[in-house]
Amino acid sequence: MFGFIKNAFTSRRDHADCSGCSLCLLVCPVWRQSRDISLTPHGRAKAMQHGDAVDAASVESCTLCMACEPVCPEKIDQVGMILDLRRLQAPTSARDELQAHMTGLASRPVASRPAASTTLLPDSALRAHPDTLARVTILLGDKNISVADDDGSDISQALEVGADIPAQCLEQFLTPLRLHKKIIVADGLLLRHLKLWLPKARIASLGEALSGHAEVRRSLRTTDLYVIEPRAYHSDYQRLVKHYDRLRVNHGCAFNLDLQRIAIPATARNLSQRLGLAAHDDEAHARWVLHGRSITRIVVESLEDRAAFEKVSDIPVVHLAELADGISDV
Amino acid sequence: MTTATSERTSIEHGTIGPCHVGPDSLIDIKRQQTNPSRWKGESWSAFAAALCDFGIELRESVAARGTFATDAGGTAYGLPHGVVIARSAVQVSLLLKAAQQHRVPVTVRGGGLTTEGESVAFGGVLLDMTGMSRVLHIDTEALTVRTEAGIFWHSLAEELRRVNMDYLSAPLNLTSSVGGTLGVGGIDVNSPRLGCSADQALALQVVTPTGDIVECSDTHNAELFQRVILGYGQFGVITEATLKIRRYTPLRMHYFYYDSLRTAIEDMQLLNRNDASDYSGILTIMDCAVNLLVAFDSDEREAAFKANWQPKLRGHGEFGFALRMALRYALRPWKLGEAWFLFKRKRDIFPEFRRSEYLRDGLMHDRTVVFSRAVWKFWGSKQMVIPDLATSADKFVEAVERGNQVCRKYFPHYTLYLVGIKLRPEHKPHYEMSCIPSDAEGWAYGCEFEPMIDGHVYSRDHLQSFKNAIYDIGVELGGSYYRFGGMMKGYIRRVFGDEVVDRHLAMKRRADPAMILNREVIF
Repeated sequence: MFGFIKNAFTSRRDHADCSGCSLCLLVCPVWRQSRDISLTPHGRAKAMQHGDAVDAASVESCTLCMACEPVCPEKIDQVGMILDLRRLQAPTSARDELQAHMTGLASRPVASRPAASTTLLPDSALRAHPDTLARVTILLGDKNISVADDDGSDISQALEVGADIPAQCLEQFLTPLRLHKKIIVADGLLLRHLKLWLPKARIASLGEALSGHAEVRRSLRTTDLYVIEPRAYHSDYQRLVKHYDRLRVNHGCAFNLDLQRIAIPATARNLSQRLGLAAHDDEAHARWVLHGRSITRIVVESLEDRAAFEKVSDIPVVHLAELADGISDV
Repeated sequence: MTTATSERTSIEHGTIGPCHVGPDSLIDIKRQQTNPSRWKGESWSAFAAALCDFGIELRESVAARGTFATDAGGTAYGLPHGVVIARSAVQVSLLLKAAQQHRVPVTVRGGGLTTEGESVAFGGVLLDMTGMSRVLHIDTEALTVRTEAGIFWHSLAEELRRVNMDYLSAPLNLTSSVGGTLGVGGIDVNSPRLGCSADQALALQVVTPTGDIVECSDTHNAELFQRVILGYGQFGVITEATLKIRRYTPLRMHYFYYDSLRTAIEDMQLLNRNDASDYSGILTIMDCAVNLLVAFDSDEREAAFKANWQPKLRGHGEFGFALRMALRYALRPWKLGEAWFLFKRKRDIFPEFRRSEYLRDGLMHDRTVVFSRAVWKFWGSKQMVIPDLATSADKFVEAVERGNQVCRKYFPHYTLYLVGIKLRPEHKPHYEMSCIPSDAEGWAYGCEFEPMIDGHVYSRDHLQSFKNAIYDIGVELGGSYYRFGGMMKGYIRRVFGDEVVDRHLAMKRRADPAMILNREVIF
């Protein structure tokens, strides 16, 4: 229905299609910080249109928040474009190590018929917080959900750094997922690709799954700021913009959405920052999310965001899974 | 003939010579405006060295320059020798001083939404103003905002909305910049009530072509203020602006449908004359499917409209108009293709204006987002040709009807966007040699004629002939244009007359001795 917000999954369009409208600048966190067009999708597309190599700093600067994709009127595969550029870049030690790790994997765990109909792929931040992970699984229906042993974090990281993913390695990751009726994914970048790799599967983000829980919804207040995890949201924007709008209508909380209903990231990290090679500067992004708002609580879908807000604000920050009163601490 | 040629060749580059073409001699003759010649770069190295001495980053890679190779129009192409991202008024001042000294052309670019190459650099340095995009101060009591001028209106709106404020009027395009808009006008659907966007400026910080940083307003350095507002970038670079703002309100929207352009225009003018609505504008799908948009900021204004003015409008509601169209095409089965086009456009466009995330309790929120997304989705492409006409109220119907005939001749499908502009008598000095016609009183009216390119390939001659045919109407009617600069500057003397043009040229020469600032736009 809305052509401009369709993702480029169906027909891949590339830099040659960029008309230079600059709409991507308006939602780009890198642009917000730098005001430098060369570090934006617009700048990269124009560089390529003129047959020039895209500056390595520009390729690395992208935070892969994916906000540029739903606003692009030319439906350019912005994420695919930046991942391709990263693949074409000179190898880095981080990429080499990851590549070696994946190639060296003899095999992933053997898939067996799952007992649960739904599988959860937590991200590394959620795994690092077992209490929160336990609350998540209880909320999502303890008996019907299993936490995947292989959550694809290495595949996600390979995507991020532009490393090749061996076909066998990918297939071994996907095979058990095919046996589940529903897949819930915490990592937004992985979610985007799972939708491409498993087009028939029912795949939902962790944020969507938790915010659909009646108990969680009941706990939302009108003075809450609900912080959507941008990657997952933008990778399924057309559908999720309606989901969160219903949440706003029914519960009255504010969201980290801009006037275009694009999610403003509280943590926006470039490649070096993602790999831990450079200090991140989440504070500026988190401050902009909070700027001018009158709120009493921050509700986050991502644990990374919680850390960012706790650094810049005294307002209580809770994870979505911590909202449901009916669950005792685990 | 020989004399004329010799006169032309003796004219100094960067000026407009006398027009040797009789006022009626170009009618119906195909002709082409072309890119200006490229500056040869004689003193570029010395200029680049000067910037380096000042600590100004100059980008000379193909990628950096290629980013700005064209504008939204996509018909003018040129490469600067280098690009500088504006960071401060002091930096812009140093750059302009060096440019004057070395006679290097400076092209200033905001959102790059010009269509005739006005923001394309044909050599020299391109100054990317979007680097100056900070909001400096919002005063919610005095209802003003001070902002750096390279900011996109949408980015300004994002900041204002955090404190429940909004700008007064801005182009229905998310990536227009504040500085660029103040330099040319800026039309919104509330312009019939509030005037053009440039009318909302209270004060400016301007860097003159010789590098002086000057604060100006209608009461302080008024002459500079009057020249910079609507001045097409000839008299300075706007680096900061103080603008009026207001409390944010969503819109109560109404749509009325007409099968006659004339009737729709007459009704729109009726509303404007009587201050019957807060917003109004006309958008066509075809010339027999015309939409008059009317909107309000408050329930009170809406109720007054419903009681006093709605009964006088001759437009139809959506259902009534659909029935009328069904009857029209039932009686004209050979025009079923046209009916199918109308149906498809309605099916595609209408939902765009009714997206649930922008509609709450029947009110439209964030109208600029809704309109701008629709503009880029349905009318945006790599090439955009949008000639326009601006006239006084009494000449407007004729101008639009004649322009419509031109569109029919050149393109199968096109859109017209019509809006009124309330004139501010105290701003008359701002309006001289601008898009505001000199004979307009009370309101000026503007119409954009936008062919739907839709992947078709048209020759540049075809597009240029179309634009000339539209602009010739303006000359005949004594109107003006929004887009008379850049490749269309051949019309300037014909439209404004020698006396006005020569006076402005003299002012330009005094302000910009080396004629370096935005040199191919007007002069």
